[in-house]
Amino acid sequence: MKLKIKILCFLLCLATVSIAQQKYSTKSGEITFEASVPSFEEVKAQHNNVSAVLKGDTGEFAALALIKGFRFKVALMEEHFNENYIESTKFPKATFKGVIKNLVLSDLSEDNTELIFEGTLNLHGVDKKIAIPAAVSMKGDSIIVALKFKLKPEDFDIKIPSIVSSKIAEEVDVAANFTLSQ
Amino acid sequence: MNNRRKIIVVLFLLVVGGYFAYNYMYKDHRDISTEEPSLEIAGTYLLERFKTGNGEDLLNRTITVTGKVTQVEGEAVTIDFSVYCSMASETAVTATNKEVRIKGRCIGYDDLFELVKLDQCTIVK
Repeated sequence: MKLKIKILCFLLCLATVSIAQQKYSTKSGEITFEASVPSFEEVKAQHNNVSAVLKGDTGEFAALALIKGFRFKVALMEEHFNENYIESTKFPKATFKGVIKNLVLSDLSEDNTELIFEGTLNLHGVDKKIAIPAAVSMKGDSIIVALKFKLKPEDFDIKIPSIVSSKIAEEVDVAANFTLSQ
Repeated sequence: MNNRRKIIVVLFLLVVGGYFAYNYMYKDHRDISTEEPSLEIAGTYLLERFKTGNGEDLLNRTITVTGKVTQVEGEAVTIDFSVYCSMASETAVTATNKEVRIKGRCIGYDDLFELVKLDQCTIVK
């Protein structure tokens, strides 16, 4: 009887370990966005502390970027971005929640597998459903997820004053890279 | 003679105006490492403040966090499982289990990992 309990406990432990192993995460993901217009000042920012979690068995993916962590080359641009456009005190974070469809961990290799990420992007307090291509690969024990897409500030109720609108592209190019490990 | 004077005055104003405009547009980034922190707080208390919704006034402010290093990941250290500090340089990273005082800019609360995040951090002696 005692042995049976011991075996049961052992199996239970194994089970929890294998479930836990399915979760991949990072706290230092990268997001870059660019809305530059040729011959004007470069409008570009980078964030190196984006959190993300991926569940290996279901493909569920969530990412969170604290808006104040976006760094611009020009300090005044960073200030305006935070205070006037994205209102980062009122809306301190941007989130992604969704699923990387048809994700099968055992099929991943060092080469990119093109999959689709489907989910909701929350920015500036506005939810928007998105479906974008995701390049997924596996290097060692880490899963690398790279997303590339375009956003329109108007879709997220972000108003850009007409005086600067000629210097900021209508569509913002966004690139996100996550190296997720267990 | 009068005309020449006018031109000189206009040129002078343009140069001075241009100088101030340029300085305003291309002012330097904040240097968190030399800023005076507006608060010194234990890591666990800082997390508690954000969890109870009392952290918003700390956003974008330079604060000092104290506690024990519980995790080191790349260029970042975590204090008391509560505060994630992204260091300004790799050299500043220390070993786990060490009591530290870290100064950085508070960028917000990460509810995925339940951590408060700081960037541009430096170790304070």
